[in-house]
Amino acid sequence: MIAILVDGIVQGLQLSLMAVGITLIYGLGGVLNLAHGQFAVVGGITTALFIGEGMNPLAACALGVVSAGVLGLAVDRTVLVPAYRSAGEERLLLGLLITLGLSFVVNGYLDYKYPNIALTIRLATPSFNVVGITIRTASAVVALIAIVAFVLLFAFLKGTLLGKVIRSVIQNEVGAGLCGIDPGRIRTLIVTLSAMMAGLGGVAQGLFSSLGTEMGNELTSFALIVAVVGGVRSINGTLAAGVLLGIVNAFASYFVGAYLTLIILLGTAVFTILLRPAGLFAYRT
Amino acid sequence: MNRNRYLADYVTLLIVAVVLALVPLGVGGSAYYLRIATLMLIYMAYAVAFNIIFGHTRQLFLCIGALAGSSAYLSVVLVTKGSLPPWATIPLGIVFAALLGGVFSYVSVRRGLGVIFVGIVTLVFSLIFHNLILGLRELTNGETGIETRGLGAAALESGRGSYYVILAVLMACLVVYHLLMRSRAGMAFRAIADDEIAAELAGIDVTSYKVLAASVGSALVGAVGAVYAYYSGFINPTVYALVSVDIVVLITLLLGGMGTLLGPVLGGVLFAVLDELVRPLGRLNVLVYGVLMIVLVITFRHGLVAALRKIAKVRIP
Repeated sequence: MIAILVDGIVQGLQLSLMAVGITLIYGLGGVLNLAHGQFAVVGGITTALFIGEGMNPLAACALGVVSAGVLGLAVDRTVLVPAYRSAGEERLLLGLLITLGLSFVVNGYLDYKYPNIALTIRLATPSFNVVGITIRTASAVVALIAIVAFVLLFAFLKGTLLGKVIRSVIQNEVGAGLCGIDPGRIRTLIVTLSAMMAGLGGVAQGLFSSLGTEMGNELTSFALIVAVVGGVRSINGTLAAGVLLGIVNAFASYFVGAYLTLIILLGTAVFTILLRPAGLFAYRT
Repeated sequence: MNRNRYLADYVTLLIVAVVLALVPLGVGGSAYYLRIATLMLIYMAYAVAFNIIFGHTRQLFLCIGALAGSSAYLSVVLVTKGSLPPWATIPLGIVFAALLGGVFSYVSVRRGLGVIFVGIVTLVFSLIFHNLILGLRELTNGETGIETRGLGAAALESGRGSYYVILAVLMACLVVYHLLMRSRAGMAFRAIADDEIAAELAGIDVTSYKVLAASVGSALVGAVGAVYAYYSGFINPTVYALVSVDIVVLITLLLGGMGTLLGPVLGGVLFAVLDELVRPLGRLNVLVYGVLMIVLVITFRHGLVAALRKIAKVRIP
């Protein structure tokens, strides 16, 4: 039972790692990124390719994360520019359709070029014991990666001047612009950062079980559910929702099977949108 | 003035019907091209329905495939398990799809969901539908799918006969669209598309007109989905997946032009031609769809009909 709980928490952390990117890009850029899972897949598959070349796994992972970031940077500076030029509903709609198209581009390319490549990272010691509970080393490593990433992210957002600038743009883009902040550059930074975190999530997926080229849409929908349940503008909410849904996912898969679990998760997302659109953990205003 | 516009609509509908009716003669005896042409009609009909929902009342339904599939599966399962005739179950499927669409629309208007949340809710519904079909294995056979038989008197066996049946369905969709647009509702839709708040202030009941648009559109989607199930002789979740239906319909409508009578038809023709051109690329076609979608959204948002109007300076319905 505790093993399931641990499994759920770890999976939840990994989900949050990707969902936080959706939250940040939506909060800051006003674009709902439907290609987020594809960033994760690009990161993971790049890692797999470098490992296949015989590179040191750690360096390969780093390169994979960087490549996801480079893709994010390129996307932000090219196809998303027309979306940023418009405002309000128009921007939301454009961003949604452009990233949906982008997800097909990435899916189509990977499926064509690398149909049989998957990322599976095996660690030297498969599991270890802590006070009588067997824990997979991979789970521990994934949890560690996610926690370190989140601590760094929070420290960055709360502790540095740049983090303060980012939070100000999230609160009020026009106001931040009047204070001499260039929202465009901040946006680019955040999209790149989010893409890198998605890449990290992809690598974590490879560590946890396996990451194939076709998993982009699945990862996007999971991350989207977490982001929606946590409130698409709240980073703390995303983290909490990720862990909560991870636990629900693990227990439900164990008791009622995978199909029903996914439907439960999707239903949670729908009801959150309908009942508390600002997210489960948002303060009432 | 109004009579003239309706006349133009009738002439257009007539021309479309005649031209499309001549297509089977044009392709000769080739069964392959006849099938492509029939599929083109199916996507045109989906696009007409989606045009009512998205083009006119800005409700981004990313569940066209799921709605069509709900209707088709309901009809087909009742036929195979309940041994009812297809004629009796297709209307049930249509009503079911209309109810689903109406409920989505009503709930999202009532909760004041923006376009993006309507998109998420319907996208999530698509995923739920896909998983339900996979999960309810004893009813739906999961990924394997169900074989369907034609509609009794060989009307929907593959070939020329079914082409004309589906052409009739498409023309019915276009006529419904025309009638809807010339009615009071059409005026309300135009007002809502221009400015929702202004429409509400002018005394238009935005909620009921949006629900009406969604229900009528979903009913048409359900009809096309069910007819397609009997035409293709086989259904499985992939037939109604997001990639197989929604993306194609979205591209078709964007190519042709949103909010126009002729847009879905012209878009359908263009898309069929493009699809034939990229067929040699094999699995790369998904990539081409994606690129096409991005390029269209960025540069060609108003579609072919608007472009033709501008160039030829004529009124195209």
